[in-house]
Amino acid sequence: MQKFIEESWLILVMGAVFAVLLAGVQTSLAPTITVNQAKALSEAIREVVSGTDRSEEVKIEGYDRKVYRCLGPDGNLVGFAIDAQGIGFADKIHLVVGVTVDAGKITGLKVIENVETPGLGNKIADAEWAGQYRDLDPGREIVVQKRPPKPGENEVQAITGATISSKAVTKIANEALRKVRPELVKLR
Amino acid sequence: MAEASQSNLRQFSDGIVANNPVLVQLLGMCPTLAVTNSVENALVMGAAVIFVLTMSNLITSTLRNLLKPHVRILIFTLTIATFVTIADLVLKAYVFEVSKKLGPFVPLIIVNCIIIARAEVVASRSGLGRSLADAFGCGIGFTIALCILGAIRELLGAGGITILRDLGWHWHIDPKTFEPHAWVIMIMPPGAFLTLGAVIGVVNHLRSRGAAKGGA
Amino acid sequence: MDFGALVGIFIGAVLINNFVLAQFLGICPFLGVSRKVDMAFGMGCAVTFVMTVSGVVTWLIVHGILAPVGEWLLGDKEALFFLKYVAFIMVIASMVQLVEMYLKKFFRSLYTAFGVFLPLITTNCAILGACLLIDMNEVYQQSLLSSAVFAFGGGLGFALAITIMAGIREHVRFSDVPKPLQGAGITLLTAGILALAFMGFAGIGK
Repeated sequence: MQKFIEESWLILVMGAVFAVLLAGVQTSLAPTITVNQAKALSEAIREVVSGTDRSEEVKIEGYDRKVYRCLGPDGNLVGFAIDAQGIGFADKIHLVVGVTVDAGKITGLKVIENVETPGLGNKIADAEWAGQYRDLDPGREIVVQKRPPKPGENEVQAITGATISSKAVTKIANEALRKVRPELVKLR
Repeated sequence: MAEASQSNLRQFSDGIVANNPVLVQLLGMCPTLAVTNSVENALVMGAAVIFVLTMSNLITSTLRNLLKPHVRILIFTLTIATFVTIADLVLKAYVFEVSKKLGPFVPLIIVNCIIIARAEVVASRSGLGRSLADAFGCGIGFTIALCILGAIRELLGAGGITILRDLGWHWHIDPKTFEPHAWVIMIMPPGAFLTLGAVIGVVNHLRSRGAAKGGA
Repeated sequence: MDFGALVGIFIGAVLINNFVLAQFLGICPFLGVSRKVDMAFGMGCAVTFVMTVSGVVTWLIVHGILAPVGEWLLGDKEALFFLKYVAFIMVIASMVQLVEMYLKKFFRSLYTAFGVFLPLITTNCAILGACLLIDMNEVYQQSLLSSAVFAFGGGLGFALAITIMAGIREHVRFSDVPKPLQGAGITLLTAGILALAFMGFAGIGK
């Protein structure tokens, strides 16, 4: 026991000091970090459902990711935002898709996280490409085509050279809408 | 004392050039390959390493007479892990986007051979001045090496360099003109290996020429 | 978690997101121990073992100790998570110590063959990297089995890369490599080509 203390008193003391130091840094920085983590999501929600001032979570049966009621500056409902995730070409893709109050139209889609091929697949994060989802029908399957979309056919055009990434985004959105939309319609 | 500060200065400059941790000592390869896909990532990683290396050398040097042989490495590891955690928290608070891009490589600074090596070779045997000079030298040398690689890869791979978007300012070199001709492979894994291999080749060539001239 | 998903995780870790060639983990031993095939393979096996066990143990530490204690002491299960990195590295260091002692006692010849490389497994970023990747991933956080499969696959992927590299280097020894590129230079360039080849595995998930 004597020998143990002799050999290791320093490391035990240092351990204790460092633990306190870390606890201090953690406590002072934690609020900033939480804000940062929430920012990406709340900014995305504002982009996909225009007119959103703030949002609150709402639990949806049968869907294990978050869904948000988007409220305007005067507190009235302006739409819903659905958080969705799935596998892309490289790894996971995390996105938010917004719908109108009656869940009749898609108001926007934004990819928040992806690690797709830079210059090709990661163009799914471009507002220009994702803008194609606006005004599509969330009640029908969205189809990916390799040519410009025909109006009324619920289509989007794949990124040239990044068909898999494009299809992945669409699949993730379709799945999420399929699960969530019926519940949203009930919520009206 | 003139002699002591001369060798401290030497210690510092060695870390940058003659004994550059990445390009000469060939240590710390993992982050070198992983975070050099952009200059911004390289700079932030470099800053984190300078911080951890400095604190590690500082503490190790201060405690050098108390270090017992058996627990030495554990003490180094504990110190490094603590300061890496601090660095990670600071990055998450102030440059969140970049910290996400760096992924597991900030906590991986804990096992970065450079830091443990400097603690063992210099800080545990030298005074404070020497240890700090070494920390700054190696840290800055590391950062410079990473930025050179980052610049090559980002220019060739993305067509331009963008720095510190997070903190609100931009500095870029014409991405649009290069972009159509960019070699995307450069910002992907194979590009990392190829660039590092080529740069080390160049460095070795310059060193052997320097040695030959010195000898002749 | 169904079997298909587990197979997907496994193949992902070994081929698609190979720890060495796609995620840049374990480069130091990759460059240092890949000279001879038998040493490389041995190192690969040791790393796979340590990685799998560390992955499981660190997962258990987060979910079995840090979370409940945080909950009990401070009412927030994530409160003690800032101690994660320190806990992880201490676990890995002790595990490698244990492996070393075990090998020394029961597999003496293997122990001497490894020499200084055995303690170096501690600083192998692949081990800590695997634990961190498991910790950062929502799917693995919810399932110990998927974390274990991921860690095991990661280790095998490392073993695969390092053994292939050793095979290539044994041949390159007899080629005429320009002086500045000898050693690290040519190994890295070769790794680059290997990485290019492994990129072909991406998209297999479909």
